[in-house]
Order: sequence, then C-alpha cells, then structure tokens
Amino acid sequence: MEYKKHLRRVTRGYTDFSYAAIPGKTVRFFRRCMIWQAWRWLVLNIKILRIVAFGHS
Amino acid sequence: MAKVVVLGSGIAGHTTAAYLRKWLNKSHQVVVVSPAKYYQFTPSNIWVGVGRMKPEQVRFELEPKYKKWGIDFKQAKAVSIHPEGGEGSDKPYVTIQYVGQGKEGQTETVDYDFLVNATGPQLRFDKTEGLGPEHGNTVSVCNFEHASHAWSELQKVIKKLEAGERQNIVIGIGHPGATCQGAAFEYILNVYHEIDRRGLSDLATITYITNEYEIGDFAMGGAYIRRNGYITPTKIFAESFLAEREIYWIKRAGVKKVEKGKIHYETLSGEFKELPYDFAMLIPAFSGPGMKAFDKNGGDITEKLFKPNGFMVVDADYTKKPYEEWKASDWPETLQNPSYPNIFAPGIAFAPPHTISKPFTSPNGTTIVPAPPRTGMPSGVMGKVTAQNIYEVIKGKAKLDKLRHKASMSKMGAACIVSAGYGMTNGMAATMTVYPIVQDWDKYPEFGRSLTYTMGEPGLAGHWLKWFMHYMFLHKAKGYPFWWLLPE
Repeated sequence: MEYKKHLRRVTRGYTDFSYAAIPGKTVRFFRRCMIWQAWRWLVLNIKILRIVAFGHS
Repeated sequence: MAKVVVLGSGIAGHTTAAYLRKWLNKSHQVVVVSPAKYYQFTPSNIWVGVGRMKPEQVRFELEPKYKKWGIDFKQAKAVSIHPEGGEGSDKPYVTIQYVGQGKEGQTETVDYDFLVNATGPQLRFDKTEGLGPEHGNTVSVCNFEHASHAWSELQKVIKKLEAGERQNIVIGIGHPGATCQGAAFEYILNVYHEIDRRGLSDLATITYITNEYEIGDFAMGGAYIRRNGYITPTKIFAESFLAEREIYWIKRAGVKKVEKGKIHYETLSGEFKELPYDFAMLIPAFSGPGMKAFDKNGGDITEKLFKPNGFMVVDADYTKKPYEEWKASDWPETLQNPSYPNIFAPGIAFAPPHTISKPFTSPNGTTIVPAPPRTGMPSGVMGKVTAQNIYEVIKGKAKLDKLRHKASMSKMGAACIVSAGYGMTNGMAATMTVYPIVQDWDKYPEFGRSLTYTMGEPGLAGHWLKWFMHYMFLHKAKGYPFWWLLPE
C-alpha cells in the first residue's frame, strides 16, 4: 500500500493533479479553526442574504 | 373570486402555493396538482445517498399539510392544458389523471384563472442507454428513493473494500447535455469522505466524469473569484478540491451508453472511450413532463406553450444567435407564457433561451454542454415572485401585461454549497455564490459577474451553513412559525 502511495506521488506531476492548487498547512488549519469559521459563517450568511434580496425586484 | 392552480409541488410550486395561500383570503382558491405524495428537500438527498440521513428526514407528506393550510391537493399528473377553455365555456382548464388518493387512473378537469406550471424535471434515464437505477446499471440521487437505493449499493462497495478488493467508483453526468453538476460534485466528495473515514481510500479509484468544458464550470460557464490576492477561475477552486482528495476527473465527456461494469463516452475531440466501474452514480438528462395543449376547438397548440424538450415557452428571447451575442436580457423576467399571460412557469419548468456555458460540438456532431441549472435557490425565488405577481393581479394592484415583480436569472444570484461529511466538526464544504447566475457582460464587462458577491470558500463554515439550510428550509416548507421571514 505504501509503495502505491509513493508511486502516485512521484507520478503526480504528469497528471491533471499537477495543475491543481493543493492547500498547505495554514490554509487547512483555518478551514477547521472554529473561531475563524464562525466569523466566515456570519460573512457567508450576510452575503447570501444580500444576494437573495437582489434577486427580487 | 380567483382560482390558482399550481402544477407541481417541488421547491418552486410549493413556494408559490404557500405564499398565495398566506396572502389570499379563503374566498380565493389555491389548488396544487402533483403526482408526488411527499415534499422532498432535494439538496439533502445527497446525505441519504451516503446513509447519513433517512428518507423521512428529507421529506414530509403533502396532503395533511395542504389540508391544514386550506389548499386543495390533488395527487395527480397534469395531462393537457386548455388555455382557451373548451366546448361551451371560455374558462381555461387542465386535464389531470390521478395517481393516488384512492382515485388512481381517474381523469378530471380543473379550471383555473391563473395556472402555475412548476412541474420540475422528468428524469430522462432513457436518453442514455443503460442509465438509471430502474432499467439501467447506475444509481441516482435525484430523489429520496433513488438516493436510498444508492446508499444500499454503496454499502456493498464498502464491504468489498473492507474485504481488500479494489473498487472503481465513477460519479458524474450521464448525458452530454445534462445539468446538476453541483449535485454530482457534492456526492463524489461525500462518497470519498465515507470511504476515507473507514481508512479505505487507497483501495478505491474515484473518478468524476463530466460534460463541463472545465471542472468548476457548474453549468454556469464557470466564474471568477477573489482568492488570496488573485482573481482565479472556479476551475482552480474545484480542481483543488478533487486533487486534495486524489479524485480523478474526466472533463468534456458525453456519456453515451452504460453497460454492466463499463461506461462508454465520447470526448469533445471525437474519441470514443470506455471507463470501467464497480459503482456509478450518473445524473440523467432532464426534460419537461410532456404535457399537451389544445385550443378551444381541440386543435393542438402544444408548440405555443412548450418547446420540443417539454419545457414551457416564457418571456425569454429564443432567437437563435451565436454564443458571443448572448445577452443577460435574453433571460425571462416574469416567467409568463407570451400567448397566455395567465400561465407562469417558475423553476425548472421554463425553457431557457440557451445554455449559460458555451456549447461545443465534437467532430461527430455531439453537442457536449451542460444545460442551465434552475434548481434550489433560483426556483424558490421564482416561485415567490410568481406568487407576488399573481396576488397583485388578483388584488387589482397590477395588470398581467405590466407585472411589478421580476426574477430573471441574469439579475438573481445563487449559492451552491457542496458539503462533505456530517456533524459540527467533521465536515468540509466548498461554498460558491454567484451574482448574477447568468453573466451580465454589459454590467460587469471584465468578468461577467460581481466579484464582491461571487465567491468560493472552502471550510467548515459552509458545511454548517448547509446543515443550517437543511433545517431552515424544511421549517419554511412545513410552514412552521414565521416561515415567511426565511429567505428563499
């Protein structure tokens, strides 16, 4: 299994995966950080509410 | 006194009927005709498809609810529309055929003053040979019954993985012109999550197959978002999500046929390829319900009301023109049929003027392009606006040829939350909002959309939002206290 993992890693550069951005440690931390995510939840809610309001005329 | 007949009880139809019943006094009649016994909150079917929710958690029975609200419910399918009435009467009516309530097979005519056609999509598994859970080889998550079946099939795959057997899992779009990429994308992330949390992801090869030109197109021609100081296409955002999980993808592919264990697809470059699978969930093509329309003398006027795909003709600009000349103003605003303005078609039922994504054709003549999405949030908004317009006409505040409320997809935004996992801390979502849904190149010449309100954000927040929305929208649909304060 470990060897298969290794194979996948060394050939990654020759696949579609090589073009995709992979998140680093900090990004992954903030994606799960409860305080930061609570703030983002509020921001997302406000933005979505405004989008819904714009949708009716 | 006015009588409003609503065909369909999905997000658009249910919203229209609920608001009309709230605003109109009981001297006006609201009738809902729908073959469905249950209202289902379709976005949550994904969770049914991975065993995280039971069908009962995403649905409720319509008849008792409508009885309580004072809505006349007929569990029937609409067969034909007679917008000029019939022999001896000018009163327009629809012919319906019961499928439940102990009247199965009986036909009836239901007259109306206003007709709301919110019939939603017919799942056309028959358009791709071998597709679908009933007569084909694939599963689906398009309704709660399909999703429940998908989960039982997925469990078999998980058992094989646990036994050390390698499995190929393919999830995506099952027709060159099908839509609902968001649902397929969400399902693949959830399937990955379920396999990965059992420590089996090394044994599974998971592939996303789609008719999108680029991953992240989501049938809206993709979008641009601000991320970390750059303006990036949603392609980067969506591919990153797949690459992080080592989910492979095949884009620009039109699935032509599904055999047991083998998917046949054509690529935009004209090649015919095969993809092996052990478990496949592929979204079918959609069409309208195939209703007929007749004039007063019984002459067939179906083409005045419907496009050949069964979706209703509305106030859109259907003139054929090249992609470069498409305009935001092509999209309908009041969703009225031009020949019979007392007929409305909110939600999936209306015929879009064209796709949103640029259409491409393979050298073999196969057009590979996703159809425009009109589900969820836009359907709810269109349903409410239709109810507002009908209410104002009934109350004499507006006229049918000059309605005040508009719901054009080129002026409305949408949120698409692709959430994987379950629970407060054990989830991850890609939240995408776009404003407007259809690019308006006149208003936003650089990127077609507002960069303030078009965004993409991965994180736990979106997952909470999706969870919150499940309960909020079911609260609203069930008509619980203050439901009308909740946005669509």
